[in-house]
Amino acid sequence: MTGQAFFVLTALADGPRHGYGIVGEVAELSQGRVQLKIGSLYGVLDRLTADGLIEPDREEAHDGRLRRYFRLTRDGRRALAAEAELRAATARVVRARLGLTGAEAAG
Amino acid sequence: MSGGLDLEQRYRRVLRLLPGYYRDEWEEDMVAAFLDSWLTGDPDEDSVTMEFDRPSWPEVASVAGLAARLYLGGAGTPRRYFAWGQAVRGAVLAVLLVHAAAGLDGLVPVLLPGNHDRIVPAPPATIAASPGSLWPSTVWYLAGYVWIVVFVALVLGHYRAARVIAVLAIVPALVWLLQGQLTGSLLSPFGSWAFWFLLDLAPVLAMAAFHRDAPPPARRPWLLALPAYYLLVSVPLLAAELTGHFAWRPDTPGLCCILVAVLCLAHVPRAWSSRAGTGVWSLTLVLLAAVAGTYRIVSLGDYVQDPHLIFYLQGPHLIAVGLAELLILAAATALVAPDAARTQAAMPSPPPHPQLG
Repeated sequence: MTGQAFFVLTALADGPRHGYGIVGEVAELSQGRVQLKIGSLYGVLDRLTADGLIEPDREEAHDGRLRRYFRLTRDGRRALAAEAELRAATARVVRARLGLTGAEAAG
Repeated sequence: MSGGLDLEQRYRRVLRLLPGYYRDEWEEDMVAAFLDSWLTGDPDEDSVTMEFDRPSWPEVASVAGLAARLYLGGAGTPRRYFAWGQAVRGAVLAVLLVHAAAGLDGLVPVLLPGNHDRIVPAPPATIAASPGSLWPSTVWYLAGYVWIVVFVALVLGHYRAARVIAVLAIVPALVWLLQGQLTGSLLSPFGSWAFWFLLDLAPVLAMAAFHRDAPPPARRPWLLALPAYYLLVSVPLLAAELTGHFAWRPDTPGLCCILVAVLCLAHVPRAWSSRAGTGVWSLTLVLLAAVAGTYRIVSLGDYVQDPHLIFYLQGPHLIAVGLAELLILAAATALVAPDAARTQAAMPSPPPHPQLG
């Protein structure tokens, strides 16, 4: 799973969001490191939709334009949990090899 | 209003880069998300933004990147774009195969027994003759070997590594060309530049077709193709040179034309038996024929300037030979072109996108 896909799935973990809502949430989750452009975002959304990890939730009108909301599917939730566990396990190994405690790693 | 368009219209123009089926599905959503990222809710400020701002270059680049991935499609894209994607991927691998075989030309003598004292063989006459070249001949041979790595990396699915190394591999030739152009020392400027643009730069750019959604190349046939090409093409050409039959060897654009023509002829039985137009290979061969034909036509400019130029043949028949090669290429390509047309014109079937629910 790419970093962008991981962040997009994470952005949808606590509820459906529309396109720009996902962009903002990803920027916040990544502490500004991942700034998705719209073309990149829809490339990721298209791929995740095709893979069955997210699906359209609803459309809402806003300023005369329709916003499409997306939500995680059950497979998407499962894939995100597996990826999070994998990344956490990797981080634990790295911290152990560097001899870092939790406090040192945070600091 | 700036240029008669507002921000939304400018962004919709950018979105025209995307295939129609994709715009039908996603355009309104993309426009809404894009405008959300610009507008603040303040009517005065938003009015100025809509009138004078335009999509940033990174924004345009992200749409262009998405368009490249969709047009050179992988799994889940409509059949037409998938066919184009497969054809481009096949053509890139074929060009890289030729580069890699040329790398083997330099590498095999190094690996032969009794050659332990020399790291690389002597440079070819064209390079040795270049006065004041910026690069030592070793760089040329290393650049040649690097194509072997690029080819194998691409076949094995290491797309990003292959792209990075390929970019590095085409730099020495560009520097050499620029230097030769500025000093007037290029022996065949038309052919040399055409080679760089068509067989170096274009395949490197077209490596964008190897994206995550693209099916991986068939490893075994492509890996076997490298030694097969070396034994069936490179070795006989080398033997012709070593035995003094230099005049029998076509120049590089001629060789490209002949090779593609032979591949077309070999593919004809399959292309003619395929009524459903499933021949992605036909489309690949048409692409390769376009590249080889363009290379041949442009390089004839060198002979027009000096018909006696060249190390291979004597006399004023080079242009006639080049035209004959083009004719052979065109005739052979015409045999597979109908199948290629059927393949790329196949009715697109939109990929499955779930409806709202």
